[in-house]
Amino acid sequence: MFNDLDPILHSQLRLAVMSLLIGVKEAEFTFIREKTNASAGNLSVQIQKLKDAGYIDVIKQFKDNYPQTICKITKQGVKAFEVYVVNLQSYLGKS
Amino acid sequence: MSEENKLSGQESLQIITEMIQKVKGTFNENGSSAILWGAVVAFCGLLSFAEIQWKFDVGFDIWGLILVACIPQLYIVFRERKKKLVKTYQQAATDNIWLVYGISIAALVLYQIIVPGVSDDLTAGEGVQLLQKNIQTGKIEDFHFYIPSGSSIYLIIYAFPTIATGLVCKFKPMIYGAIICYGLFIISLFSAFKYDLLLMGLAGIFNWLIPGLILRKRYLKGIAD
Repeated sequence: MFNDLDPILHSQLRLAVMSLLIGVKEAEFTFIREKTNASAGNLSVQIQKLKDAGYIDVIKQFKDNYPQTICKITKQGVKAFEVYVVNLQSYLGKS
Repeated sequence: MSEENKLSGQESLQIITEMIQKVKGTFNENGSSAILWGAVVAFCGLLSFAEIQWKFDVGFDIWGLILVACIPQLYIVFRERKKKLVKTYQQAATDNIWLVYGISIAALVLYQIIVPGVSDDLTAGEGVQLLQKNIQTGKIEDFHFYIPSGSSIYLIIYAFPTIATGLVCKFKPMIYGAIICYGLFIISLFSAFKYDLLLMGLAGIFNWLIPGLILRKRYLKGIAD
């Protein structure tokens, strides 16, 4: 039976962010922006949605007097990503 | 990726694969630390060997340069930490490996400095005096404890972080460098102190300097691409 794909993850940019973060311990906002080619504004919005869902932690701090935003995936985020991939495999297997 | 779209299953799969590949392509180890330590250990080892072999003296303990090298090393570590935009699990693991290596080397230096003197004191405390007799001259002198072939222990410790990093990062020059270092360790079990110094110099070259230069080349190529 096909399980619905998580709507939080089933979005182009949010899925890209989660796919990046699943492979690293933590990443700076600028790194994520560079790899996803997203605009800063859109990326901020999508990161906030992932944070609200409890899928990522966002740490805001200062480095050399400049604001720095560090993102890292949470255990809940890892679990959600794994479930998403399993459901995706099942979906692709049936299509 | 500027807007939210309805994704097909294939598109989702493509995004996941592409992003994972991009992270895999992230390589920000530039080899500075390996080059620094390789050069310093190679220089100290080869110069110490040359001092004994050709009977000259530079006037100070050349191995003190290791302590001096800690200053640029700390600078490199802090500078690179600032520059890094991402920390992979691999980097977190290798950082810990090198931290353990630093602690181990410091502990080994303490062991080598403290243990012989303490052993002498403990033996004397038990009312025992150890003597050694030169069987050629018949001369009898006090025997003082020392660490036999201490260089062999250093060679094992030198190889440990390199092979662990090489295996974690699947970086063959480090794996081969560490294997050579283990080979030098085996030779050092049978060689005199003078040649142990030469082996330590060679360990600096094969274990760190060459892999570090290869890392640097790879890093610079990564920047250029």
